[in-house]
Amino acid sequence: MIEEKSKKTLLYLDFNPLLLKISLVLFKSPRGKKLKILVIVRQTPDTEAKIQTNSSGDGIQTDDIKWILNPFDEFAVEEAVQIKEKTGAEVVVLTVGAERSVDAIRTSLAMGGDSGVHIKDDSFADMDSYALGKVIGSKIKSLGDIDLIIAGKKWIDEESNQVPIQVAEELGIPQATLASKVEVDESSKTAKVTSVIEGGEEIRELKLPAIITVEQGINEPRYASLPGIMKAKKKPCEEVGPGDINSDEIGISADALGVAGSRVKTDSIEIPTITRSLKVIEGNDVQQASSELAKLLREEAKII
Amino acid sequence: MSEIWVLVDTAQDKVRNVTYEVLAAASKLKEKNSSTICAVFIGESSGAIEADLGKYGAEKFYKIENPALKDFNPSLYATALSEIIKKNNPDIVLGGNTLKNQDYLPRVASRTGAGLAIDAIDIDLSSESTLQVKRYKYSGKSIATVSFHDVKPMIATIRLNAFKPIEGSGSPEVISETVDLPADDNYKVIETKIIPKERPELTEADKIVSGGRGMANGDNFKIVYDLADSIGAGAGASRAAVDSGWVPYEMQVGQTGKVVSPNLYVAVGISGSVQHYAGMGSSKVIVAINKDPDAPIFQKCDYGICGDLFDVLPALTDEIKKLG
Repeated sequence: MIEEKSKKTLLYLDFNPLLLKISLVLFKSPRGKKLKILVIVRQTPDTEAKIQTNSSGDGIQTDDIKWILNPFDEFAVEEAVQIKEKTGAEVVVLTVGAERSVDAIRTSLAMGGDSGVHIKDDSFADMDSYALGKVIGSKIKSLGDIDLIIAGKKWIDEESNQVPIQVAEELGIPQATLASKVEVDESSKTAKVTSVIEGGEEIRELKLPAIITVEQGINEPRYASLPGIMKAKKKPCEEVGPGDINSDEIGISADALGVAGSRVKTDSIEIPTITRSLKVIEGNDVQQASSELAKLLREEAKII
Repeated sequence: MSEIWVLVDTAQDKVRNVTYEVLAAASKLKEKNSSTICAVFIGESSGAIEADLGKYGAEKFYKIENPALKDFNPSLYATALSEIIKKNNPDIVLGGNTLKNQDYLPRVASRTGAGLAIDAIDIDLSSESTLQVKRYKYSGKSIATVSFHDVKPMIATIRLNAFKPIEGSGSPEVISETVDLPADDNYKVIETKIIPKERPELTEADKIVSGGRGMANGDNFKIVYDLADSIGAGAGASRAAVDSGWVPYEMQVGQTGKVVSPNLYVAVGISGSVQHYAGMGSSKVIVAINKDPDAPIFQKCDYGICGDLFDVLPALTDEIKKLG
């Protein structure tokens, strides 16, 4: 029954040019201006990478590391591309980092992003979240007409989620973090966001422009297809250096742009050694082994 | 005298344990420079909590109560805290690494020109009285020592379970602060749903039992839940179990899931990859149950049973129940 009905509707649509026209108009943005989405991404070491300290002890050895798009950012890019598929939005991908970081942009473009912005310069290395918020915020301001900014929930290298929020503060726009669902309403210029909160969830309505960080699992990030990768190579990517950032506008002197404008710095990095007692019980006699383990947890570890 | 502020987290008008942990962290700094420890409440109404705060080390209690702070709005909370920071100039502001604090403290940092380090596992003061923070970087794979430039305030959040509350006695001087909060048309809370959970949240849990690839399917997780419930633990999973669709994402522990640090972590049928260890390596006691004697987890645990989890787990649950 249902199948038959949908067939009829299709036929009806096919043969009614007026209806077809109306439906096309509905799919277009009311003011004719496309929604513009910016995704902030980060290049991080592969999750399998072995982390070793560098010779000065304040960073890590980067030579033999395989670099990837931050796994949590895949969800952000996917969300932006899905909104693009629904609304015809334009998707810009922005990153801050060394020369190699352009690969994180290319991966995002291969997933469906339209263009990249690569803020790169040695003076931008090792900035803290305060300085990053200012530099990224100021670049986004100069881009002008961004409606929505999406980011992953955390950078797995810095173990931090604060940069998108500091960007939101620099731009003076609202934020919703850990989104498990995002609905953008183009006509009212709002986004309805379901966010994970402690003990439950909260539905929030944000006026655009706004920043949203997405929770893992909000979508299934696509793999970049081969044609997608080929196309990504031809998509435009703007390179931004210190000269392109108006430091006056962000309230710091030009020589304080970058690490000198930071508020915190990493003094040292150590690799924790694993010191565990390794008491492994042979489990041939399950009853005895379980009883022994329960006793150890109670009497030795005093944990249960 | 310089002040160290501790942000107060409450639930149903009761101070959450995390606040007492952060007060303990503040006491550690006080030993070095004799600052005054001040509890700071921001919200609609604090309830009668000053006695509890005093008992755990607060000497002053700043209350910022405002009906506009009924719903959590990161921007308004940031305005409230930033205003009283500017007025009172604390040297250091500490809070628990809760979702709320992670949501609005970055705004406070940008607004007040402050440095911010989140998720500290330890804190200290340098000889110049600047804050030093130890925190994980590259997930659990490395520990960074981060220091603050001499720009005040210095803001940090403290990982849950990193400090033990110190009980004492005292009653804080209460100071009520008022702030003007403009209406925020950009952000509206439509609905807050508290979803009752059967087990503790992973990031707050004192104990966790997690299942991995060895569980073979979602139904088998029942024996993980049985063990978890017998010791009041949260239930987690490895990425392999989540990617197989056996359990939801929110249970994933590891570098691309939740980072946890309970007192007890039981890894069941989990091989113990670098990525998984990165998410639970700071647990105090790690127990492994796995049938493969060569599983890497047996090189990273305190206790273990090498055996078939489908036999071991029910037996272990029984033995624990017998202990009472």
